[in-house]
Amino acid sequence: MSFEDPDDLEEREREALETLLKRLGDDEFVLAERYTEWQVRAPTLESDLALANVAQDELGHARLWYDVLGDLDFEERDLVYERDPGDFRHSTLVELPFPEGDWADAVLRSYLYDSAEELRFDALVDSSHPKIADRVEKIRQEETYHLEHARNWLERLAAGEDGRQRLQDALDRLFPHALTLFEPADEETEAAVVDLGLRDATLEELGEAWLSTVVPSLESLDLEVPVETRTDEEDALVVTAATLPEERGRDGTHTDAWVDLHDELTHTYRELEREAPTKLMGDRE
Amino acid sequence: MIWEVFRQEKAGGYHAHCGNVHAPDREMARQFAAIQHGRRKPTNSLWVVPREEIGEIGADEVAFGGTTDKIYRWATAYNTTAGDASEVVESEDEQATAERRRGDDR
Repeated sequence: MSFEDPDDLEEREREALETLLKRLGDDEFVLAERYTEWQVRAPTLESDLALANVAQDELGHARLWYDVLGDLDFEERDLVYERDPGDFRHSTLVELPFPEGDWADAVLRSYLYDSAEELRFDALVDSSHPKIADRVEKIRQEETYHLEHARNWLERLAAGEDGRQRLQDALDRLFPHALTLFEPADEETEAAVVDLGLRDATLEELGEAWLSTVVPSLESLDLEVPVETRTDEEDALVVTAATLPEERGRDGTHTDAWVDLHDELTHTYRELEREAPTKLMGDRE
Repeated sequence: MIWEVFRQEKAGGYHAHCGNVHAPDREMARQFAAIQHGRRKPTNSLWVVPREEIGEIGADEVAFGGTTDKIYRWATAYNTTAGDASEVVESEDEQATAERRRGDDR
């Protein structure tokens, strides 16, 4: 079994690959869309540029994943503009709107997301798909900087009472949605992703590793994580209470905020009856 | 707090001033500097320095040198007749080349 030749894939392989790539690409794409809303509105010029940089990176990553989907005969135009909003597989964490002017939300969201991203890439670096392994290697360096940026802000906001309170409010709102990062699109396909060696950790393992990282770290900043966790027999942190939101993102169910955002981001495309998405640069190889 | 940023393009080169960033502390200043000044041009290293740590002395406080016209030091400043000594010809060539290199002949 090999992913070298995209024309030589069995149905189960195609499905697993498509699911994995849409999770990866859609997360990055939608998060970048949301980050872009901070453009010229961030608290300082420096933070504005920093987040714009992150958004630009994430858009580039989305393009890298959508490009691999091209092997499965998906065109970028269809993926970005022609797709039904219900076909997007991103976590609901990345689609939620920012409460107006709430920089703590942007910081915390980035921290929760990029912590998960780091673990996810660790599990993809030895992927059986050569293009995935290759791309992860390139992307990882940029992601390290994203996480560092989020952590820097997080520590500084948490140091003041007002900032800590804002972070707590954002945490209460965002944490259940962050848990959907580790939700399956469907159990069978997700099992195949690991089985076929596309990713070498299950969603459950990634979720546990993530909890074991972010929960102690947030608690050390005097923030209260709004779910009950316990330590299982293998010393891993697991969520006990079922606190997941109704919409899980991964299975195609989304909050109304996504429908609005999708409508907004496809608006110009529909209005101008564009033939293809605008490209400023050629594809990176 | 304002941090002045200095960029070094290649190892061993000078750090040249390239702008500044607002940041609450050194760690954030380093990160912002990397984003704003290290992503577009070739960069080997950046310095961030708190603006108030920089000492300055201005032209209103001291008479700086470098303003006196010392053109008499250059052979090209003199009119010469044909049949100059070979030393003079060589010196003229040398000076003219140096000026061209510096862009002073434009």
